[in-house]
Amino acid sequence: MGWPQDLRLGWPFVAKSTVLKPKNESESELLMYKITLFLECGSAKPCCLNCFCVCRGGKEFLSFDLDTVFDVNSMVAEVLFAILREEVKYVHTDADLLAMERTARGKKDMVLCYVQSLGTQEHRSIMETAYVYGSKHQFILITGGPVLKQLGANESSLSSRVWFLHCRIPGGFSTPTASERCPVTRMRRALSTLNLHSFLQLMEAPLVLEVDVDPSSVPPPQFPYQLTPQVFLFSRPATEHLDRDAAGALAWRLRGVALLLLVHRQSPAVKTPEEFNVAYRRPEKVRQFRGELNDEVAASVFENTGNLMDLDSITQLTSENFHSEVAQSSLTVVLFYLKWDAVSMAFLSSFIEVAEKLEGKLVDDVLMSVVDCGEWTDLCAAQPSALVPFQPITEFPRVVLLRPQESPQYYESMLGSEALHRFIILLTVFADASAFVEAAMSLRGEVLSGLLMDGPAEKWYLGVAIEPELTVDNLPSFLSLGKALLLLFVGEEEDEIGQRQNQELVEEMRRAVELGGARMERYLACWIHLGSTPAGMSVLGSYLGYMPPLPALVLTHLPNREEVYQYPADNVVAAPSVLQWLQRIEDGAELPAGNATRQLQKCFEQSCQKFLLLHKHT
Amino acid sequence: MEPGLPCFIFFTLVGFVFTSFNDFHHNNTQHHDYCVLGAGPAGLQMGYFLSKAKRDYIILERNSGPGSFFEKYPRHRKLISINKIHTGRRNREFNLRHDWNSLLSDRPDLLFKRVSSEFYPPADKLPLYLSMFEKELGLKVRYRVDVGRIRAVESAAERSYILTDQQGGDYTCRVLLVATGLWVPQMVEFVGSDLVEGYESISTNPEDYKDQAVLILGKGNSAFETAQSIIGTAGRVHMLSSSPVRLAWQTHYVGDLRAVNNELIDTYQLKSLDGLVEARLEKIVIAERKDQCKRAPGGKKKAKRRQFYLMLKKYPQNSHDKNSSGVTQEELSGYIIDNFPMRKPYDRVIRCLGFRFNFSIFDSSASPPNSENAKGRLPGITAWYEGKDSPGLFVLGTASHSRDYRASAGGFIHGFRYTARAVHRVLEHRYHGNAWPSINLSTTQLLSWILKRISEASGPYQMFEVVGDVILLQGPRCEYVEEFLLQALPRFSSLSGHQVSSHGFIVLVMQYGKKKIDYLGHGRAETDWTKAWKSNFLHPVLYYYDRLPTEEEMRMRPHGWPLPRPKAIHHMVEDFLTEWDGPLSHIQPLRHFLEHCVQTDLRAFYADSCFRAALTHRKPPLFCQQGYLNRQGLSRSTQLLQHTFDNGPPRSQHHDAGTSDANPAFPSYLAPAGGCLSSGLKLDFCQLH
Repeated sequence: MGWPQDLRLGWPFVAKSTVLKPKNESESELLMYKITLFLECGSAKPCCLNCFCVCRGGKEFLSFDLDTVFDVNSMVAEVLFAILREEVKYVHTDADLLAMERTARGKKDMVLCYVQSLGTQEHRSIMETAYVYGSKHQFILITGGPVLKQLGANESSLSSRVWFLHCRIPGGFSTPTASERCPVTRMRRALSTLNLHSFLQLMEAPLVLEVDVDPSSVPPPQFPYQLTPQVFLFSRPATEHLDRDAAGALAWRLRGVALLLLVHRQSPAVKTPEEFNVAYRRPEKVRQFRGELNDEVAASVFENTGNLMDLDSITQLTSENFHSEVAQSSLTVVLFYLKWDAVSMAFLSSFIEVAEKLEGKLVDDVLMSVVDCGEWTDLCAAQPSALVPFQPITEFPRVVLLRPQESPQYYESMLGSEALHRFIILLTVFADASAFVEAAMSLRGEVLSGLLMDGPAEKWYLGVAIEPELTVDNLPSFLSLGKALLLLFVGEEEDEIGQRQNQELVEEMRRAVELGGARMERYLACWIHLGSTPAGMSVLGSYLGYMPPLPALVLTHLPNREEVYQYPADNVVAAPSVLQWLQRIEDGAELPAGNATRQLQKCFEQSCQKFLLLHKHT
Repeated sequence: MEPGLPCFIFFTLVGFVFTSFNDFHHNNTQHHDYCVLGAGPAGLQMGYFLSKAKRDYIILERNSGPGSFFEKYPRHRKLISINKIHTGRRNREFNLRHDWNSLLSDRPDLLFKRVSSEFYPPADKLPLYLSMFEKELGLKVRYRVDVGRIRAVESAAERSYILTDQQGGDYTCRVLLVATGLWVPQMVEFVGSDLVEGYESISTNPEDYKDQAVLILGKGNSAFETAQSIIGTAGRVHMLSSSPVRLAWQTHYVGDLRAVNNELIDTYQLKSLDGLVEARLEKIVIAERKDQCKRAPGGKKKAKRRQFYLMLKKYPQNSHDKNSSGVTQEELSGYIIDNFPMRKPYDRVIRCLGFRFNFSIFDSSASPPNSENAKGRLPGITAWYEGKDSPGLFVLGTASHSRDYRASAGGFIHGFRYTARAVHRVLEHRYHGNAWPSINLSTTQLLSWILKRISEASGPYQMFEVVGDVILLQGPRCEYVEEFLLQALPRFSSLSGHQVSSHGFIVLVMQYGKKKIDYLGHGRAETDWTKAWKSNFLHPVLYYYDRLPTEEEMRMRPHGWPLPRPKAIHHMVEDFLTEWDGPLSHIQPLRHFLEHCVQTDLRAFYADSCFRAALTHRKPPLFCQQGYLNRQGLSRSTQLLQHTFDNGPPRSQHHDAGTSDANPAFPSYLAPAGGCLSSGLKLDFCQLH
């Protein structure tokens, strides 16, 4: 690009010393754009006060207020934008955009950019890219509002984004829409110069490639596409035309995400078994430089380290104050934790919540306390004695309940604020009411909390095991029965009718259990309410490879079998037909759910974050 | 006839007689399971462990109090072992990393800081501390027992040692723990070595060196300590030894020249008449001028100061008597080479060459051999500190330094207190059937536990590359054995009483980088965890083996490595704060390594993720199996950000030194990569890779 060599940036009066530093940093970065930064323009006369000016041919060309150029990103972005102001267009309305699309038709592709705030790294990345690709594509900046709506984006939640408008008509495969608008591909990866570069490169890749060899012998994508997955569709001579259309349509949906190849199956070089109609190749794994935490607990804890936990409501026990503190309270709840253990820290947060809840209430004499075992290692590892009544702590986090002159009690329930809170309340209530003291001694903890829980959970704790609702809290108890699971997934009700329908479904399940009698003993019939247990959604998706319409009835966890069976979606859930279906499964007359295509979908879903439905060849 | 046999018969008889007399407190022979020779820091340290285990032991000391070496040495009375009281931490174990003088005990207050708060404490405080240690723990020490002879006798059943004291009294013991330290000044024979003064007897008054030219032989801490004390009064101080000075901050070896003693390097390089010279002591000659003596007129009473010349043996000497230390001017090296650096005479020559082990008290039946390193000054011992050729005799303390000579801290209190503990554990297993103490952990807790050890453990930190933790993998659980002697790894099972399962084991070692770099220069520290193996400063390294290495493998290990090549190795990137608690840089890469070793996903999951995993997999992740399925799931705290389940599959970031990745020994946990591409219920927990 032939930018004038004599472009100079003047910096006549630098009032704020803080500005000096970014100046020096950006100096080297601007050099990449053949721009030199000088303290003054050619003449000795300053061009402006408290500003930053760009000079061209010894004359002031542009100036910025120092408030708009506060760091390297803003400086590079603003300067490049100033230089490119002839090339990069602003578009405010959809009509303007349409007009531009019409002019660009058949000539140039367009890159549409939305920058949430100017002077940011995203802004800079876009301007840097425009600098490089400006002559090839038409760069457009949009200001939100109607244009965003046309692109189907919601302005309020939108961060900076880039779309590619395919206005040059691509040859070979038809575009998905016949409208006069250019087809749009949204850039999905984070907005950085590098990602933008590879995105634009990818837009130039052929839409569909046709090959006569087996996918395994197709070389992996070469630079600059090496990070892009490849999808292979298999085509037969008989359906070649249809296959091409399908491939084209799919390729449009996958543009920017994956490369599509059409494999002609009739070629003897194609060795992939007939049953597969799609193949997928993941990109070579690139070594992460810094990487991200791939442990959800660690990620939630350590990415939250900015918000320091408020330890005011809890007592911090040490080797020195342990005995006196414990002696003063009728019940001391001690959490032993390690700072670097994410589970400890996640639970510590819940522990503080409980302490805060208890603080407000008149719960007698409960001391909520913690021991940092990274510091008080001698206390945590001490051999049990009269002064240190508990066993050495080798498991973190660990909650121990101590009462003077009593042996310690170990908390062994859910590590969450609700469960712990309930546990402590029950303990104190029972300890106070003298009539229940004895009962409390024997029933402390788990059993107690189970008895007093309300709702469906109560039922199963009392031994009723017919059509209970499966929740995150009670699943372990169900699984321990070791039975096959007959799971009814019901959706969230929007109205009373929906509720009634769900009730009827559950009733029908109950009838099936009754009707089946002894035959049903090997199954545990239960239901998951996707509204109260949203985690069930991905369970269902994982079983079948896609989200079926609700309700869905599934049989899983058969002894020593991996298969999952789906009750035919078009059948009404009725006790007799459910029993027949179960019988057919036992007889081996039912096919398990899931097949190769669905596996691919699932795999694809995870890698591309975009649900993709592939249709079977007919 | 075997020389041992009459002895054997004699002592069996004598032993019989004395045993029957023992009840009457007969004074001539005493029997103990354990005899500890010497009540210095190592002897008392072992005494503590024996006393705590309620063993039958006695500590024998020839002097009237403990730690008598420190009554005299170091001559200039300043200890250079750091007494860092203020660490800003209250973790006792961590603080021992910076306390180089205290002994180990279960008394939190029995630390050296009680007797001194000085960073470099006065030497007198050490006997004071040892005496306190001995009294407060009630250790059995017998003072003024000077053992002059040690013999070994062997019966069919066992071998024992007989120690004879100055009054002819005998002590018979099954196990002899030699903690006599190093007392005998090391000397080198050369022409004129008789003209030299020794560190052990020189004057420590700087005034006595006023204006004198002093030649010090040796460049260790005693030599520099001496130079430092006279630097202000002596005219010029030259130091001579075979090798250039080794600076402790460059070698990481605390026995090399410490900055606290190195003023002479400054004065040398700032041109103040002091200097360092290299020459092999065997090749030098120290001589007085003959002609000068002759020239002195007989009548004068005023004694002329003696002057000593340094010469090199390679130059011809005309003198008839090669060993005489008188020379003429023509023979002087300075006369032959006119710029010979040490051509001017010295008023004093002082030998500061350190000390050697006293082998003389050992009968040939009991004597350990001379060490192969350290110029043979130390006894040769096995990796578990037992004398080579003298089973039942163990060497403790400074004398045991041949195991890590010039490498780690085994010659110093802050190092040998840990080897003493290790030796005691060897004894407990060998003689009393008690396996090494260990902690049984859930494998999901292993990561945290290793991080705990890394952040606080003082043993592997002080005795880096010599002691390390051994983690025995056993599937869902593991056995954590602390501070094993690394060099004894081939004998791990017989020494510790723990077995290695087919799951293999991990060894946690602290080590320095092996590359010589500019230790104060740019780029001396590695900060990128992906290049952790390039770490230069002390950092944790984990070695994974699927079986114990053989003695042969141990011998043939790569140069400079503490252990043979493992199946997989993981370096944790060096940390300026020595805490190694960075979630991304330290913890996650370590977890990936452990996942590789145990072939199991070791991530933690919230209850709802476990719910999903439990419904979609036969075997959900270990964390869910041990927590959630035991009704101890982790609920999300409302205060923490919500993170999604799908954070990707376990990945391994390690250098696989071994052959294959997939180990058939771990079939039940993690399906091989890519093996989970199916809908429906999955057998094991894994995700698409």
